[in-house]
Amino acid sequence: MAQATLARARPGAGGPPSGAPPKRRRRAGWLLLLAPVVVFDVLLFLTPLGKLIGSSFTGGAYARVLADPLVTRSLVNTLSIALTSTAVTVVLGYVIALVLWRSGTVMRVILFAVVLLPFWTGILVKNFAWAVLLQDNGLVNGFLHNIGLINAPLPLLHNRFAVIVGMVHCLLPYAVFPIFSSLAAIDGRLALAARSLGAREAAVFRRITLPLSAPGISAAGLLVFIISTGFFITPVVMGGPGDMMIANEIDYYARQLTDFPGAAALAVILTVLVSIIAAVYQRVLKAGGQHETL
Amino acid sequence: MKRFSAPRAGIRRKPLSLLSLPVFAFLVVPTLIVVPVALNNSRYITFPPDGISLAAVQGFFADPAWTSALSASMQAAAIAVVLGVVFGASAAIGLHGRKFPGQQAVVGLVLAPMIVPTVVLALAFYQFFISVGLVGSIVPIGLAHAVIATPYVYLTTRASLAGLNPALVRSAQSLGAGTLSVFRHVHMPVILPGLISGALFAFSVSIDETVMSLFMQSPGATTLPVKMFTDIQFNLTPKIAVSSALLVTVATIGLLIQVVYVLKRRSTARMMPLAA
Repeated sequence: MAQATLARARPGAGGPPSGAPPKRRRRAGWLLLLAPVVVFDVLLFLTPLGKLIGSSFTGGAYARVLADPLVTRSLVNTLSIALTSTAVTVVLGYVIALVLWRSGTVMRVILFAVVLLPFWTGILVKNFAWAVLLQDNGLVNGFLHNIGLINAPLPLLHNRFAVIVGMVHCLLPYAVFPIFSSLAAIDGRLALAARSLGAREAAVFRRITLPLSAPGISAAGLLVFIISTGFFITPVVMGGPGDMMIANEIDYYARQLTDFPGAAALAVILTVLVSIIAAVYQRVLKAGGQHETL
Repeated sequence: MKRFSAPRAGIRRKPLSLLSLPVFAFLVVPTLIVVPVALNNSRYITFPPDGISLAAVQGFFADPAWTSALSASMQAAAIAVVLGVVFGASAAIGLHGRKFPGQQAVVGLVLAPMIVPTVVLALAFYQFFISVGLVGSIVPIGLAHAVIATPYVYLTTRASLAGLNPALVRSAQSLGAGTLSVFRHVHMPVILPGLISGALFAFSVSIDETVMSLFMQSPGATTLPVKMFTDIQFNLTPKIAVSSALLVTVATIGLLIQVVYVLKRRSTARMMPLAA
């Protein structure tokens, strides 16, 4: 998403300066400002990543990890967990964005704070809180027991359900921001016009609000999916042994097996897989969008 | 526009708000619940609490394993904030109102650490710092945090620079102001809110980061989230709750600063950190 905003380059900015000598001096000055970050990122970001990719091609790492049934399983888990939590997150995120969009200024600030508090809080804290709530003698089971619905505690923690609850909770703010932006960009007069022509609220939503916020929904879906494929903490804290995702497998290869090339190969596989899915997704969306305008 | 739609909106606002109440509760309740859990008057984790006491908080600060984790986290965050602010802000100023060949590549490089999955970066840093022999201290963890914090500072600074006309810089220069003077009198007043918000982000990114710190941990360099992550897998203890409550407090302070700033500026758009 961050890169999407890059396309909006400022036209006409940095126009031609009047004299040649000051121009050269100034340009050198500004390029000097870029040097620290470029050197820093080349040394401490590109070099480690390059080394990682390089090491993945040593010692037949790809063949080794792809023959590991645990890896195949974690890949399937990653895709299924990521898709489920993305779908749930986008639906809930849409509800939140809609409420934010329709509130007045003060209410909007309060509700934004409600969305931002979990955004500012680390995944670990949020997952710990969920573990406290969902454990056998936790709040949810205690409540269900007290109202007489259950006799024995429900197994709410250390399973797939818990992983998805924990992940959706972490992912929600990332869905709210792009959806809210696309809602905020809708021309309010369209709804007024529709209503003046007799459209009911359901029709206004279905035929104006929903289609016009579709770009936000698709942006949110992509962003949330990409983030969700890299989850590491939630499967450990809230999942069971059968819920491990690819990031956990990378950790296992690196720190338990100390098989760095294997771990690096898994990291490359994860990145490539996510990039392919993102590219296909954007192409499908583009095709769908063109069809709609016809 | 808003005034016209408001009365009509009022009719449908209610059912939607009722419907959304559980969703908002889902968002905020689990975050806030750690505070009463931390103040629980019991040796075990229970909710609702049996009674309020500071026993767990005292236990947390009396336990050297937890206090050294807290201090390791603070050191890593200090490195991340200082480097992140210097690199992120200088990049934003250097790129503001400029067009040059390769500019997109520089912007892409600055933002790239945001999109690479943390676990991939954690593995890359782990391998890299072992290969250069920089292990067993908080420094590699702080440097790794600075890498992922820099794009946040860049984005917040860039957002605050958006209102600055590049012509102002040129006029200052044409009147004989040097680079430092231009920075102090033209850039600094404009970017200060962006810098503060970026520094808060950098701090928050660092203090909550778990995966990279986990890979690069050593006896002297175990951060708070790593200690929590390790302990959670065995038992849910009140000390983890205290640590969580501490981190939620930090998040709340950051959020309050942001809310005050937004109310001053009367622009809710500024609350969206990623849309910056």
